[in-house]
Amino acid sequence: METSKITAAEAISIILGIFVAYTLVALPRSMLETTKTATLINLIYVGVIALFITFLIYKLLIKFPGNDIVDIAEYLGGKTLKTFIGIVFIFYFLFSSSILLRNFCECLKIVYYPMTSLVFIILTFIITICITLRHRFSSIAKVNLLIIPLVIISIMFLFIANIKNFSLDNIFPIFGDGVFNTFVTGLGNLGSFGGITLLYFLPPYLKEPQKMKKVYLTSVILGIVYFLLCVSIILFMFISLMYTNQIMPLYSAARYIEFGNFFQRLESIFLLIWILQMICYLSIVTKLSISIFKKITNIRDEKPLILVFGLLIFAISLLPKNYAISKFIEDYIYHYMVIIISIFLGISLLILAYFKKRKKKELNANVEKSI
Amino acid sequence: MLKNLSRKIFIVILIILLLLAFSKSYATLNIDNLSVIVAMGIDISDKNHLQISFQFTNPSSVSESGTSEQAPSIIYSVDASSISSGINLINTYIGKSVNLSHCKVIAFSEEIASQGISDEIYTLINDTQIRPSTNIVISKTSARYYLEHSKPLFENLITKYYEVFSASGSYTGFTANATIGDFFNSLICQSCEPFAILGGVTNSSTESTGATNSENDTTTKSNASSLFGQSTAENTGLAVFKEDVLVGELNSIETLCFSIMRNQVDGFLISVPNPNKANSYIDLHVTPLTSPKVTVDILNGTPYIRVNCRFTGRIYSMEDNADYLNNDMLNQISNSCNSYLESILTDYMYKTSKALNSDINGFGKTARGNFLTLNDFYDYHWSEKYKDSFFEVSIDSSIRSSSLLTES
Amino acid sequence: MNLKEILSSLFTYTPDNKDTYNFNLVEDFNTKQYPDSNLGNKSNEQTKVFPSLTVNTDYLKSKYNLLINSDIIFRDFVLNARGKQYHALLVFIDGMINTKIMNEFILEPLMMRNRNNLFDNSQNRVISEAVANNITVRKVKKFNLPNYISSCLVPQNAIKQVSTFEEAISGINSGNCALFVDTLDVVFDIEVKGFNQRGIEKPSNEIVIKGPHEAFVENIRTNTSLIRRFVNNEHLVIENLNVGNITKTKCGVCYVSGIANEDLIAEVKFRMNNLDVDSLLSAGQLEQLITDSSNLNAPQLISTERPDKAASYLLDGRVIILVNGSPYAIITPGILSDFLSSPDDKNQKAIFSNFTKFIRLIAAFITLLLPGLYIAITSFHQEILPTELLFSILASRANVPFPIIFELLVLELSFELIREAGLRVPSPIGPTIGIVGALVMGQAAVSAGIVSPILIIIVAITGTASFAIPDYAFGFHLRVYRFVFIFLGYLCGFLGIALGLFAYMIATCDSKSFGVPYTVGISPFERIKGTSYYLPAIEKREYRSGFLNSKKETKQGHISMKWKRT
Repeated sequence: METSKITAAEAISIILGIFVAYTLVALPRSMLETTKTATLINLIYVGVIALFITFLIYKLLIKFPGNDIVDIAEYLGGKTLKTFIGIVFIFYFLFSSSILLRNFCECLKIVYYPMTSLVFIILTFIITICITLRHRFSSIAKVNLLIIPLVIISIMFLFIANIKNFSLDNIFPIFGDGVFNTFVTGLGNLGSFGGITLLYFLPPYLKEPQKMKKVYLTSVILGIVYFLLCVSIILFMFISLMYTNQIMPLYSAARYIEFGNFFQRLESIFLLIWILQMICYLSIVTKLSISIFKKITNIRDEKPLILVFGLLIFAISLLPKNYAISKFIEDYIYHYMVIIISIFLGISLLILAYFKKRKKKELNANVEKSI
Repeated sequence: MLKNLSRKIFIVILIILLLLAFSKSYATLNIDNLSVIVAMGIDISDKNHLQISFQFTNPSSVSESGTSEQAPSIIYSVDASSISSGINLINTYIGKSVNLSHCKVIAFSEEIASQGISDEIYTLINDTQIRPSTNIVISKTSARYYLEHSKPLFENLITKYYEVFSASGSYTGFTANATIGDFFNSLICQSCEPFAILGGVTNSSTESTGATNSENDTTTKSNASSLFGQSTAENTGLAVFKEDVLVGELNSIETLCFSIMRNQVDGFLISVPNPNKANSYIDLHVTPLTSPKVTVDILNGTPYIRVNCRFTGRIYSMEDNADYLNNDMLNQISNSCNSYLESILTDYMYKTSKALNSDINGFGKTARGNFLTLNDFYDYHWSEKYKDSFFEVSIDSSIRSSSLLTES
Repeated sequence: MNLKEILSSLFTYTPDNKDTYNFNLVEDFNTKQYPDSNLGNKSNEQTKVFPSLTVNTDYLKSKYNLLINSDIIFRDFVLNARGKQYHALLVFIDGMINTKIMNEFILEPLMMRNRNNLFDNSQNRVISEAVANNITVRKVKKFNLPNYISSCLVPQNAIKQVSTFEEAISGINSGNCALFVDTLDVVFDIEVKGFNQRGIEKPSNEIVIKGPHEAFVENIRTNTSLIRRFVNNEHLVIENLNVGNITKTKCGVCYVSGIANEDLIAEVKFRMNNLDVDSLLSAGQLEQLITDSSNLNAPQLISTERPDKAASYLLDGRVIILVNGSPYAIITPGILSDFLSSPDDKNQKAIFSNFTKFIRLIAAFITLLLPGLYIAITSFHQEILPTELLFSILASRANVPFPIIFELLVLELSFELIREAGLRVPSPIGPTIGIVGALVMGQAAVSAGIVSPILIIIVAITGTASFAIPDYAFGFHLRVYRFVFIFLGYLCGFLGIALGLFAYMIATCDSKSFGVPYTVGISPFERIKGTSYYLPAIEKREYRSGFLNSKKETKQGHISMKWKRT
């Protein structure tokens, strides 16, 4: 559909939205767990790598203008590969978003609704998705563009309001658990850049494809800056974070905000903004999964699919038996999924397709020459 | 048609389901069903493990055309094995669910604090309702007695008093804003130790024993102060912990040093010896210019801590024939002030290290800069080495002038 | 119907094959659809009136788009002057002239043969004759038709001879009539301004302070003339359309032909021509009939009773629809920020109007969310209330027997009741209802302990805020959705509010008004020329609304205050 194209700013906000959604639950903590006090250094190091990967993806995608990775898979390996890649990415999107939803709802339950069963808290999200997904992708992107600045302002506010609680000494010892841990084991933090997966799917939606490079690089750079902001809030405030398991570190930081005697206990308002971001993230990811599914099955009408996908997310998010399992999935499996699926699988597919295209071109050139 | 109807029925069922599901939380969180706790006290009881006191206030006397009568505070105490079961008991007793999110003060008795309170702190910090900014008070008397006497003298509402009292530290330095969040963070941190406000109850009569303990006004602390008047709670001084055990107390001037080191005091009054006149004192109002600069070096395995503070100040007191606008005079007073502050700060630091062996200033955080990895730091065992520390304090203060409108 | 049918009707999938109607005015706001028209460019070029009447007629017809323009009248007749007959043409705008003057003092003397006029002498007239020495000295006045007409034939107080079309047209636009006579290269600009309709009254529903105080009336001709007087340009086209199979109600589609987007005009006419209704009685009905489908029922077309507002939107490149018998004009398309702006905004300095715009934005949020937030906070999130405030709420609720939701709903409904009653009763009693409702009932309810005073404050703030919304329909929309948020806040607190807000935002962003995204210009990251919610300073209001992609992009020079530069 023509009208579901999105502008450059909307595309940036969508990619950023994926980064942001994960930090709201447990991402800063799991990053800090990996590299301890060296996280800031590690993050800059990992960020440069992520930026390089982004650039590589851009360079490869630009060879196939207007195609997303599913189209490219079809070009490379026909219908089978297309279906396979499509299913892998649908699985990735649904799985990661349901587990995130599950963990977020666990936090909501603890903070807001101690007596309500988790099922119903998740259900409210699912109902909302089923309503909102009937609208166009561009509308969701537009709302995302309104919400993302709000979330980022909330995080900046968190940073500024907590400056009095910061102790800058907390970045010492500078190498945390050692140099090896920071730069080699710490590569696992690359898994935090889940937003990179979205880069494979955005090209058909971009209104101005010539701005693709700008969109991709800006969003990843903004994502790195945002991560630095989040991690430094946690790192500077709680040296003790490494020894405790706060389920929502940013929320814990928000509890410390106080302005005089009147403006206290503002964390519920932060959570209100973060719920908006979470539902926005869910909508985007589900909408994308539906569009991939439509592409591999050639279904035109997406209305019945909305219900199916909503129920799928609902079911997957209820799968983990307890919070320990879902936390493990979010902290470790998610990171590996990002690294394996969206970085290795995606890039290798693109490289193969690129070689095929070059070969074809050479072949054509040879044929022309011989004629 | 049928499909439409079924969809409508489905939606109605869904809404009813959600209503039912959320009404459980509604029933516990609705303000009509809550009773708000403003302070909590924890004592050791003879029979059971803990005696927990809850302080409520009756809000209905607050409104109604702003009558100026004081809202009465109600205190209930229960004996329970843990804080949570105590809350449970009080819920049954008063028939409403108590809510801790407006709890401003948590008082521990000295007795329980010297046995270790880490279990209680962990329970409290894990409760979503308790604010990390709740003040933590170690009471020289029993916590219940302390709460009973925490009556606002000038406010109608006790919560207002609780909000304000910890802020006085920023202009006197004689008490510090110790919160349970800080307490918890320092408790589990390996490079600093927790602290709490030292509370007590003022004696109502002048000839009490407590008042005689203090030699002059800078060494007062709770229950040992020269204050007298109505029998109210007082919060002067600081309780110092090593891990979760109370190990000592700081008096007011030491608390002032502590506040200076944490950069929590905006300005304070001190009396320094008059350089021109023996046995007389000048009152100065001193303002910190920057936060104290701390450098920690490890020399031969022992910490060597250097502290540099900068102050500016004005003269408060007045006396005959003193020319406070004279440059030499001001320099002399500055020097006197420097040596006075240096001496009290050095004394304070050696007290924390030698006598108390508790790094409440968090020098350990700075010390971490000397190590490359966390394991190196852990292997050093800072909390044990702290008692061997050497301190070097340098004060750089400049007295500008007198702050008086008239020149003597 | 057997069980199998019931089951299959419940659970089988029937594809939804009808394509939704999808019209987009502009795909990309940054590319231009049309070259810039030169309308309104300053030029001193003047076209002389031609001696031939047919040439003049053709020229004017093209100028005035006579084929589609409905209120321009060309009156052909034969003029008698000194027994000679000349073809003549009167051009005027219906609705702006006084018909009586026109008939009695222009057409009658020109067309009737009177005695003086019968004098059949085209020769020179001898004024005086003196004979001296057989030489006859005659003082002769040459016959001059233009002078003759103006001095002898038209008994009208203000008449002017002009020789260029520009002067003539400006006269016509301002309500004069122009008399063209064959063989003459001058035009008579005759003053016949006047109205014979019901008097124009002050607008009653859209009050401004610094703007004009005129409102549309029921008669479409008067309304067109009101717009014409503001726009005062021959490029303003007013097309006639009839809507309604039985009533054939006259509707006028107005636009400025050098500015408005052709696609937009075509779309408006397309929708109006494809209405299968028996009757159309008001602009409100037409508004609902041509609006894009909206899940939210937010107004998507602006309706106004102010000709100045209509004219300013016309000059922005939008299309106005007038309906005969309805004192409201419909402005298409309308976007969200239009409903929060008042015609007064442009009459004040930008900083003041932006302040009021900010206040209105807050008012919109309060109207929509405040009661919902109140119920959410008191039910689920009391911890964000400052302790003293919590105590005063608790104290004020001490004697109230109802749960908060019930209390709130009762009060909100009774507020709506008072408002509705105040509207419906005869106007002398109206204020009484307000006093009885607001003061007596509120005071009594509080002292009887039925509602808490805090809640009265909440409802009063919400009510006041809803009246600060300039557009009545939009305020109504917010007031209705307030109840949805009350329910969501009651259901699950902030979670419900956040999810509801998200769904609301998505639905708002998804809707379109005549192919224009409804929320265009709301996001600060969208750079579309001339569409920010806040007004720039007057010298920077360079662009017309970018989302319309009108034929003329700028509405003032890059340096509008040229006097500063000289």
